[in-house]
Amino acid sequence: MARKHKKIEHHPGELNLTAMIDVAFQLLNFFIITTHPVDVLTHLDVFRPSPDLHAPRLTQAPPVIRIEIFPDSMLLNAQPVNRQRLVDFLAAQASLDTRKTILIQCSQKSTHGQLVDVLDQCTRLKLSNISVISST
Amino acid sequence: MRKHSEEYLTGNLTAMIDVVFQLIIFFVCTVNMQDKAIDDSIRLAMAPHGEPVVRKDPLEINLDVDARGQVSLNRDPYSRDELANMLKKVVQEHPGQPIPVIIRGDAATKHEAIQKAMDACVKAGIWKIKFAAFKERR
Repeated sequence: MARKHKKIEHHPGELNLTAMIDVAFQLLNFFIITTHPVDVLTHLDVFRPSPDLHAPRLTQAPPVIRIEIFPDSMLLNAQPVNRQRLVDFLAAQASLDTRKTILIQCSQKSTHGQLVDVLDQCTRLKLSNISVISST
Repeated sequence: MRKHSEEYLTGNLTAMIDVVFQLIIFFVCTVNMQDKAIDDSIRLAMAPHGEPVVRKDPLEINLDVDARGQVSLNRDPYSRDELANMLKKVVQEHPGQPIPVIIRGDAATKHEAIQKAMDACVKAGIWKIKFAAFKERR
């Protein structure tokens, strides 16, 4: 008697994706909630000079642009100056030589924002030789 | 005769995928812990003309100076002398290598507080200092 061969049906394995999609949406939510735009930072380089006791005394003061910052005013080479005139002067100096030494003297009560503003203008004009000192 | 049925072995992957996603979340949450050392309450001044910071020096030291004039490092407040001693140690540990010190001063803080941080750097033999500022706020 001939045997009847029953066809064996092959069912492809099924993967339940529901939970995976749930978690994927959880992740999406997490990233949407936690992602925030990052502020772009900049670093302004300065030198902090210190009195060198071994350095020979100069007979003539080196040519420097001296800026003094006070809480409500500024001096440029000992002359009162407003911000616009200071920027114009620095631009004129930068057009001649960007390696000029700039000495910024901050008074104790001036704000850090004022100093950063002057440093930012120097950076814009590619003036890089900047020293910051503090008045006592 | 018994019916012969053939079945595929199927493993339940759901739990494994859940765990993998949990691990991803864990690493995403913990990877930026270093940034938490920086005081976010400090409102830096704007310097739109500065070069954007693209690379971070592993040796760099960030000194925070808040609006009240308190100088801190990794959120721990330091006096001028403590800070100078700490910076001296760092300089001695890395001879010949320039230690980049970045002062993150609040725009409203008085210069006397910034001076405190700068003097500590000078005492430790660090002459070159950077001031952090915002180039762009988003």
